[in-house]
Amino acid sequence: MSERRPRPRAFRLDDGKVAVDDAPGSFAPKTIVTTEQPRFEAPPEPELDEGEREIESAQAAGVARRFSFSIGGLILSALGGLASLAFGLWTTKLIDDLFARASALGWIGVALLVALALGLVALVARETLALLRQSRIAELHAALARARAADDRDDARRLVTRLAALYEKRPETARGRAEVREAIESIVDGRDLIDIAERALLRSLDAKAQAEIARAVKAVSLVTTLSPRAIVDVVFVLAQAARLCRRIAEIYGGRPGLLGFLRLVRSIGAHIAITGGMAVGDSLLQQVVGHGIASRISSRMGEGVLNGLLTARVGVSALGVCRPAPFAVVPQPGVSDVAPFLFSGGKDA
Amino acid sequence: MSFLSDLRFEAAVTARSVLDYFQGGAVRLGVTGLSRAGKTVLVTALIQNLLAGTRLPVLGASAEGRIARARLDPQPDDAVPRFPYEEHLAALSGAERHWPESTTRISELRLTLEFEHTSRWGGKPAELAIDIVDYPGEWLLDLPLLEKSFADWSRETLAASRDKARAPLAADWHAALTEFNPSDVADEETARELSLAFTGYLRRAKDDVYALSTLPPGRFLMPGELEGSPALTFAPLDLADEAEILPDSLAAMMARRYESYKTHIVRPFFRDHFCRLDRQIVLVDALSALNSGPAALADLERALGEILDAFRVGRASMWSSLFRPRVDRILFAATKADCLHHLSHDRLEALLKLLTQRAIGRAEGLGAEVDVVALAAVRATREAEVRSGGEVMKAIVGVPEAGETLGGDRFDGAVEAAVFPGELPADPSVLFEGDGVALPEALNDLRFLRFRPPISARGRPAPHIRLDRALQFLIGDRLA
Repeated sequence: MSERRPRPRAFRLDDGKVAVDDAPGSFAPKTIVTTEQPRFEAPPEPELDEGEREIESAQAAGVARRFSFSIGGLILSALGGLASLAFGLWTTKLIDDLFARASALGWIGVALLVALALGLVALVARETLALLRQSRIAELHAALARARAADDRDDARRLVTRLAALYEKRPETARGRAEVREAIESIVDGRDLIDIAERALLRSLDAKAQAEIARAVKAVSLVTTLSPRAIVDVVFVLAQAARLCRRIAEIYGGRPGLLGFLRLVRSIGAHIAITGGMAVGDSLLQQVVGHGIASRISSRMGEGVLNGLLTARVGVSALGVCRPAPFAVVPQPGVSDVAPFLFSGGKDA
Repeated sequence: MSFLSDLRFEAAVTARSVLDYFQGGAVRLGVTGLSRAGKTVLVTALIQNLLAGTRLPVLGASAEGRIARARLDPQPDDAVPRFPYEEHLAALSGAERHWPESTTRISELRLTLEFEHTSRWGGKPAELAIDIVDYPGEWLLDLPLLEKSFADWSRETLAASRDKARAPLAADWHAALTEFNPSDVADEETARELSLAFTGYLRRAKDDVYALSTLPPGRFLMPGELEGSPALTFAPLDLADEAEILPDSLAAMMARRYESYKTHIVRPFFRDHFCRLDRQIVLVDALSALNSGPAALADLERALGEILDAFRVGRASMWSSLFRPRVDRILFAATKADCLHHLSHDRLEALLKLLTQRAIGRAEGLGAEVDVVALAAVRATREAEVRSGGEVMKAIVGVPEAGETLGGDRFDGAVEAAVFPGELPADPSVLFEGDGVALPEALNDLRFLRFRPPISARGRPAPHIRLDRALQFLIGDRLA
């Protein structure tokens, strides 16, 4: 043994010279010093499975998008700037006019303007917070996937703490959070810790999100089957899909806000495009078959099933993109998991 | 003769597996490891945790709350002793708590889990019977003997006994060997003398300070009811290469007894127990080998290689490839992980990986999943940080067993101590450098003490380290 390592030693606890601080062993992430010496074998870049890679690239296209320069962006910003200037001019003029008419009116106008400004500030703050939260969740998702693949204990502890903090304000996750806290403080490997957190925190949320999808699918199928006019179901399907996306985002991490919603839609679109006509975990064939049987019963019902399928597809993608952790112990749900009734010959639809 | 007996043997193996197939369902979980690796404690803790229904977070079915109940059932094999779970549990608790007696024979216990499958159509109640078969790891070392002749085995054993670590231990036996000539006329007295000298050497090698791993035949140290029978009264001889074994010579007698050892002891174990295992956990006490020195570690590696060889036995012939051992998951577990701080567990696992890697590499086409884990079935320590004169050490706190010494301190089994056992190197291959064995404390940078079992609340299982992870690997898929 060439290098000198610290010598083994024992300290009797009944010795007067030994002071014991019997605080519970704290593995709080901040006290973990990253003294990880270079591993004797460089760990290979962790392999992520295909579903996970699809979700991550979809997130990169929307919810985790970085701000970048583009010509369209430039034009839009310039236009926005001009519009704000015009609005500013118009309000000053309005207030001046009001004061000219009567000073009481003028003060009322000023008060209303202040209220408007406050409201706008609040709105901007909320949107910004929502956007930040959204991109934080997407980052957390990617980091968890990497830590799990690399079985990295320190990273896992840090990330899982963040994951639990995300649900601090939800009373129904109290038990799950307690389990996770306990696991963080005991001796568990990185991958196992992430699995424990997924089971404890996300399973109930998954169930909720899937129930939400099933509800939307049922509503869409029913309305399409019964509605007298095509325009009615187009509007209804769009409204339901939008509502569904917002609900799923809310379930996993709070309201997305308007801009957040737009980014979410972009991600969902990207995910559907990446996974192609094939729904996650389903074959196109199955969808066509499901549609075929139903349409043989009645053409309206066939359309209902098809619209339901599309809604389920959107829901499944939204679920993957909004989830703060990758699918590991819980398999990634497919269309037939969230809306099994569509495939049972259309009798429930 | 040999062909006929082979055929009969294969037929028996086949009949057993067909019978098992129709009896259905149960998972046979083999628990083994060289002696003092902690088999008994592991089985006891495993049963206790499952029976008590403690939450095992890494075991999926338990974490998801799908295990309704666990119970002990009568085992299916009437001829095998029952694993005395209750006795061992009593040994581990109370004021006189101590680690249970070691495994010297095979024993079995059936544990049945009532659980529900996960399924998108709603859970279905199901039962999984787990037959836990606990047997000494030394018996596995015997399995490769099935394919070795007496002459081959003699040569290998002698070669092993002449390496630097073992030569001093084998001196008596080597001296005895020179007194006799393999072509001498067979004589019971000589056979007994040689056998005693040989057994003495095996026993010394197993001693605590040396912590060398046992060489086959495994039954010599745990003879059981066959003690003194001719099948256990033989020893390897110093045969020249190409030497012919004369009839009625000492060598012929030894060779015959070696063959009966295989027929009466090794084969029945292979056929009745080993062949029928579905899952296997091999416990490895790497810490004792580290206490002893690099040579003991190299020796452990060789023994593990032999154990993995056992999983390949009989793959050569067509018959055997049809009805080969069906173990499809093997877990190597470094036990007593509670004797070092958890930040070192990765390094312990890296060491175990290195120990088994060469062995796994050789066992090509094993057809089984292999994993390694550092675990402690019963966690006897808690972790602490020692600050001493500006130094910060990651230590563990527990009650060292009576008689353990470290740094001139001799423990009495009552006082608690914070122990810093040294630091495992990041690169485990460093540990193999040198050929020291039974190193004195001053020359070894590592010293793992043994601790007394922890006091646990009445009826509650003691804490553990990664027992749930081991269970998930071994039976998790059957509980999905």
